[in-house]
Amino acid sequence: MPLSFSPSSIPVIETERLILRGPEPQDYPNFKATFTSYRARFMGGPLNPYESWMLYAAEIGHWQIRGFGMWMIHDRDTDETCGMAGGWKPAMWPEAEIAWVIWPGKAGRGIALEATHAVRGYLYGALGWDTAVSYIDPKNLDSIRLAERLGAVKDPDATPVDGSDTVYRHPAPAALAGTQLAHGIEMEIGHYADPLFKPKGWAID
Amino acid sequence: MTPMSLPIPVIETDRLVLRGPVESDFDAHAALMASERSRFIGGPQDRAIAWRGFSGSIGHWVLRGYGMWVIADKADDTPLGRVGFINADGWDEPELGWHLYESAEGQGVAHEAALAARAYGAAQFGLDGVISYIDPANLRSQALAARLGAEIERDGEVMGHACQVWRHPKQEAL
Repeated sequence: MPLSFSPSSIPVIETERLILRGPEPQDYPNFKATFTSYRARFMGGPLNPYESWMLYAAEIGHWQIRGFGMWMIHDRDTDETCGMAGGWKPAMWPEAEIAWVIWPGKAGRGIALEATHAVRGYLYGALGWDTAVSYIDPKNLDSIRLAERLGAVKDPDATPVDGSDTVYRHPAPAALAGTQLAHGIEMEIGHYADPLFKPKGWAID
Repeated sequence: MTPMSLPIPVIETDRLVLRGPVESDFDAHAALMASERSRFIGGPQDRAIAWRGFSGSIGHWVLRGYGMWVIADKADDTPLGRVGFINADGWDEPELGWHLYESAEGQGVAHEAALAARAYGAAQFGLDGVISYIDPANLRSQALAARLGAEIERDGEVMGHACQVWRHPKQEAL
């Protein structure tokens, strides 16, 4: 019989609306739907089915090699997957990155903000990161907006991955410890949970 | 940030150890995939795509319960190539695959590793009488498949490339 590997060594992160767990085999179809679609245009896609499957396998392998990686974001109420957020550092990345992706049908509810804020807190707190970047395609306005809502700023001195990306530098751990910035992020997340404040017009990740 | 240790089984042969991939194996893998020698296994590829394939080979074990081992020199753990079972999206069924890094060619390493992996897969994973996809121009791999007792079953296709589908004998026939 094929072996059965337990993903239990990947920590679970809980937030108000979300539960973040390691990527599991049964979550693959949702990942594939996004990464084989136009949604993946800023993330190296759209990918063909083979490339998409290998990238999903690479997400899992990343956890094994690095001891951190991308969490699968689940809706706390329905357990449906919404996207992924976490730490990402392939061999050719200049620095460890905080990355996120939201399935197109789940965008516009502040899920990426809530999940990424939580994983950044984990990477800074439990894993002791003292800085982090996000490598973003300059045409990916939704992700740039999210980086800025997280307090990240463009870092012109940082080395990009391949020159087609812009490097955003996240605020250091001390800048998120009980500061006005941290309160602002938490207030925005709290208000996303309140349908009165649900934004209309375009999808904001 | 300690690497996790997925309990990928270890197989020992006379000269080799088949073990799970570790990051220090990556440069040898990336060098192969950047070279013309990778033309029959999806290359040449840049380093980013090679990393996806390398780290993905670890995730393959989690997703399928079997996968590819790194073939390491028993004497000093030098990575010599990879062997094992591949069943990515687009595969008809699990495949026994192999490739060597250039310095390891011509010493019977692939034969020794493939025999051990094939027997292990049949005994432990229920993967008996598996296939190997081989490019029609890849004469060295065809020669190895024949030496392993496999036979051409049909013309097939994987990832949009025409290839021969070789069928390995079941273990009881060996």
